[in-house]
Amino acid sequence: MERLLPIVHVLGLVVLIFAFALLLPVATAIYFDDAAQRAYDEAFAITFGSGLLMWLATRHKKRELQIKDGFLLVAMVWAVLPAFATLPFLIYFPDISFTDAYFETVSGMTTTGSTILSGLDTLPPSINMWRAELVWVGGMGLIVLAVAILPLLGIGGRQMFKAETPGPMKDSQLTPRIAQTAKGLWLVYALITLTCILAYWAAGMSKFDAVVHAFTTMGLGGFSTHDASFGHFNSPLIEMVCVVFMLIAGVNFATHFLAFRTRRLGAYGYDTEAHAFWIVTLGSALIIAAYLLWWKVYPDFLTALRYSLFNTVSIATSTGYASTDYNQWPIFAPLLMLLLSCFASSSGSTGGGIKMVRAMLLFKQGLREMARLLHPNAILPVKFQDMVVPNNIIYAVLAYLFLYLVSVVVMTLLMTASGLDFISSFSAVLVSINNTGPGLDKVGPATTYAVLTDFQTWVCTFAMLLGRLELFTFFVLLTRTFWRS
Amino acid sequence: MRALFSLLHVLGGVVFMFGLTLIVPMLVAWAGNETTLHLFVKDMVLTCGAGLLLWGGFRPFRRELRIKDGFLLVTLVWAGLPVFAMLPLMSHLDISATDAYFEAVSGLTATGATVLTGLDTLPASINIWRGELQWFGGMGVIVLAVAILPMLGIGGRQLYKAETPGPMKDSKLTPRIAQTAKGLWLIYAVLTLACFAAYWVAGMSWQDALMHAFTTMGLAGFSSHDASFGYFNSPLLEFIAVMFMLVAGINFATHFRFVRERTFGIYNHDGEAKAFVFTVLFSGVLIGLYLWALDHYPDVLTSLRYAVFNTVSVATTTGYASTDFGLWPFFAGFWMLLLGTFSTSSGSTGGGIKMIRARLLTLQLYRELKRLLHPSAQIPVRYAGASVPNQVIFAVLAFFFVFVMTAIVMTLAMMATGLEPVTALTAVIATLSNIGPGLGAVGPSTTFAVLNDFQTSLCTLAMILGRLEMFTFLVVLTPAFWRS
Repeated sequence: MERLLPIVHVLGLVVLIFAFALLLPVATAIYFDDAAQRAYDEAFAITFGSGLLMWLATRHKKRELQIKDGFLLVAMVWAVLPAFATLPFLIYFPDISFTDAYFETVSGMTTTGSTILSGLDTLPPSINMWRAELVWVGGMGLIVLAVAILPLLGIGGRQMFKAETPGPMKDSQLTPRIAQTAKGLWLVYALITLTCILAYWAAGMSKFDAVVHAFTTMGLGGFSTHDASFGHFNSPLIEMVCVVFMLIAGVNFATHFLAFRTRRLGAYGYDTEAHAFWIVTLGSALIIAAYLLWWKVYPDFLTALRYSLFNTVSIATSTGYASTDYNQWPIFAPLLMLLLSCFASSSGSTGGGIKMVRAMLLFKQGLREMARLLHPNAILPVKFQDMVVPNNIIYAVLAYLFLYLVSVVVMTLLMTASGLDFISSFSAVLVSINNTGPGLDKVGPATTYAVLTDFQTWVCTFAMLLGRLELFTFFVLLTRTFWRS
Repeated sequence: MRALFSLLHVLGGVVFMFGLTLIVPMLVAWAGNETTLHLFVKDMVLTCGAGLLLWGGFRPFRRELRIKDGFLLVTLVWAGLPVFAMLPLMSHLDISATDAYFEAVSGLTATGATVLTGLDTLPASINIWRGELQWFGGMGVIVLAVAILPMLGIGGRQLYKAETPGPMKDSKLTPRIAQTAKGLWLIYAVLTLACFAAYWVAGMSWQDALMHAFTTMGLAGFSSHDASFGYFNSPLLEFIAVMFMLVAGINFATHFRFVRERTFGIYNHDGEAKAFVFTVLFSGVLIGLYLWALDHYPDVLTSLRYAVFNTVSVATTTGYASTDFGLWPFFAGFWMLLLGTFSTSSGSTGGGIKMIRARLLTLQLYRELKRLLHPSAQIPVRYAGASVPNQVIFAVLAFFFVFVMTAIVMTLAMMATGLEPVTALTAVIATLSNIGPGLGAVGPSTTFAVLNDFQTSLCTLAMILGRLEMFTFLVVLTPAFWRS
C-alpha cells in the first residue's frame, strides 16, 4: 500500500490539471448562452478540490516514479479521470445513472465513441463540446501512452519501438520521459487538429461542428453532435475530408513527429506499418463497395464506393462515425469492417485494437512455423523493417493476441449469459475492446448503448478500459508478483 | 513429383484394404434381407480395383517413406479415402457428390455433422457404414495423433515424441506407424467392445448398440436416429455414453500405459486428462444450474441430466444430442461449442486445439505477465515438471493463431455467401473442431443440408483441416514443400 501513495500524489496533480479542461465547455456555454451553464461550476470545484486534496495529503510520500509504477499510474488515470468527467453529465441530466455517465466519459477518454445519449442535436452545445474535448484530451493522453509509456513498460512486444521514440531513451525515470515526448507530439497533434478544423469549416460545416468533429476525428473517437453522425451533413466533400484525416490520425505519431522535424515526407516512406494500414483499409473499402454493388444495396459503383469508403475507414480506424445505417447492409460487410478495427490502425496512433505491427509480426511468425516444419533444425529469424525481431518480442505479441481473444470470448459469454443476443453481444464487446464505437444490431449505428442493462454497460466500460490499456497493463496488476515488494 | 508417385503407391494399398471393410455393411444387408446387397458388391469391386490399380501402377516408384512424406501421405489419405467411402452413399441415396463427400469426410474425420435426414428409415447397412467410417476414422486419428503428428512436429506435438509407444529414434515412417498401431488399436477395439456390450445390455438393439459404440469411441457422433440419443430417452444409456465419451477423450497413450502397468496411478499422472475431465464435467454442471435458474427445466435433476449429457457430447467433440440444445438460451450452446474447441486430450479421437495446448497457452501468458515486471529474467515455462523448449511454445502459439485465423476467414466466407452469423460461425467451429452439429440453421434438430454447395465444400475443407491439425495440410500447399 505504501507503493500506492506516491502514485496517488501524481494522480492528484493530474486531476487538478484536468479540472481546467472544463474551461472550454464553460466558454462554449457562455458563448451560446445555453442551458447547461450552471453544470460546470460545481463540477470544477469538486474536481479541482479533490485533485488538490489528493495532492496535498500525499505530498510527504512524494518520490521519483519508477518504471514499474507506470502500470498502476496509467490504469488509475484512465479509470479515475472519467469518474470526475461524469460530473457535468450528472448535474445537467438529473435522470442519468452513474453507470451510464461513466460509460459515456470512459467512451470519450478512451476515444471509443460509443454513446448512451440520444437526441444529440438538441443537447446544449457545451455538453457536446465537453464530450468532444474528452475524446481530444483522451487522444493526447493516448499518444503519449502509446509512443512513450507502453514501449517503456514493454506491453505486448512494444519494447521493439523503444528505439524509435523521441525523447530521452535510456532514462529509467518516468516523468522526464513523458514530459519530453509529450511536448513534441502534442504540438504535431494540435497542428493537425487545427488543419482539420479549417478543412471541415471550408468544406461547409458550422464553426462549432467543425471544432467538435475535428476533436473527435483526431482522437479517432467518433462522437458527433448529430444522431445521424456524418449522415446529417450528407456531403461527399465533408466525408472525403474526414476520410483523409482519419487516415492521417491512424498513422504512428512518432512518424508524424519525424516528418515534422525533418520537414520531409520521406519519414512516411520508411513506415511500413503505415503502408500496410493504408493498403488494408482502402483495399477493404474497395472490396466492400464491390460487394454492396453485387448485392444491389446501391444502384451504381460510385455511390457504393462513397458509402463503403467512409464507413469502412471510420470503423477500421476505430473512429466510429457513420454516414448511413450500415447495420442494414448484408452482415458480411459490417462484420468485415469490425474485423478490420481489430488490427488496422498503427501502434503509435490514437486507434485501438491489436495494432497493425502486431498483426504483421503474427503473420510472419505463422510463415516461419510453416518453414520450420520442413526444416526442423534451421535458424529462421523473423525480420521487420530489415531488423531481426528478438524472440522475446514475438512471445509478447503472441501472448497479447491470446489474451485479447480470450478476453473477447469471455466477455461475449458474459453478455450472452445475461440475455443479449449473439450479434449484439459480440459486436458490443469487439467495438468496446477495440475502442471503435457503434456495434451491430441492438447497439448498431442507428441506436445507442442505452438499451443495455447496467451489468452489460459495465462489461462494455471495462472492455473499453482494457482495450485502451492494452490488456497487460491491467492484468499485470492482478498478479501477486506485482504487489510483492 | 516422384515423392507424390511413391505415396500414391502406398495410398493404393490403403484404398484396397479400405475396400475390404465394406464387408461389414454387406453382412448387415445380408442379415437384414436388404435388396441392395449387389450395390455394395459393385462399390467394393470399384474401390478395391482402384486401389490395386494405384498400387500396381505406381509400384516402380516404390521407396522407403521418410518423415517428410508424412505430410503428404496423411493429407492424401484423409482427402482421398472419403472419395471411395462416399460410393455406397451415392449408390443408395439420392444425394449430390458434394453432399456425399461431406458425409464421408464427416465420417472419416470423426466429426459427425450430417446432411442426411430420415436416418431412422435408412437401410441398416448404410447406417452401419456411416458408423464404421467413424470407427475407422477414429483408429486413424489415434495413430495420427499419437505417432505421426508428434514426429512431424505439428503445433508443438514434438513435446510428446518421448511418450509415444513404439520405436523413437527411427527416421522411417512405416515401422513406427505399424508398432504404435498394434498396441493402441487393441485397446481401442476392446473399449469399443465394452461400449457395445454396455449399450446392448442397457437396452439398445444390437444394430444400434454397434453403430453407437462405433461413433462413441471415435468421438464422432453419427446416430441411426434423427433424434440422436433423444430417441432412446433413457438416463441409463445417456450415462453410459457420457462415461465412454470421457474415456475416449483421454490420451490413448495413457490407456496403453495403463494396460501395460495395470495401476490407476497412470491416469493420475496425466495432468491433461484431469484438466479435461474436470473442465467438461464442471461446465456441464454449471450449464445445468444455469438452465435450472432460468426455469428451462422444472427441477434441478432433469436440468443436470440434459446439461451434462449434451455438454460432454459437444465438449468431447462427439456431437450427440439428447434434446434440441439449439432451443436453450444461446449462452449455453455457445459455451458448449467453445469447450469443443479445446477440451479433449491430445492423443484422443477428439478435435480442436486440445487441452495440452490450451494449458501451454495459459502458462505462456502467465510467463509474459511476469516478464513485464522482470524484463531481464529468464523464466522457463514448466509443464509436468519439465521446462518446455521455446520451439514447442512457438509452435503451439502459431497453431493457435492459424486455428483462429482459419475460423475467422471461413466464417467470413460463409457470411459473404449469405448465411447469417450464428449459423456461419457455429458451422465453422463445429466442423473445424470436428464436433458435429452447430447452432442456428445447422443446430442439433436440423442438418447441414441447408447449406449451399460452396458452403458445404467449405465445411468439408474445415473438417479435413481440423483433423490434420492445420499445418499438415497447409505445409503441402507451400512451394518450399515441393522443392527437392
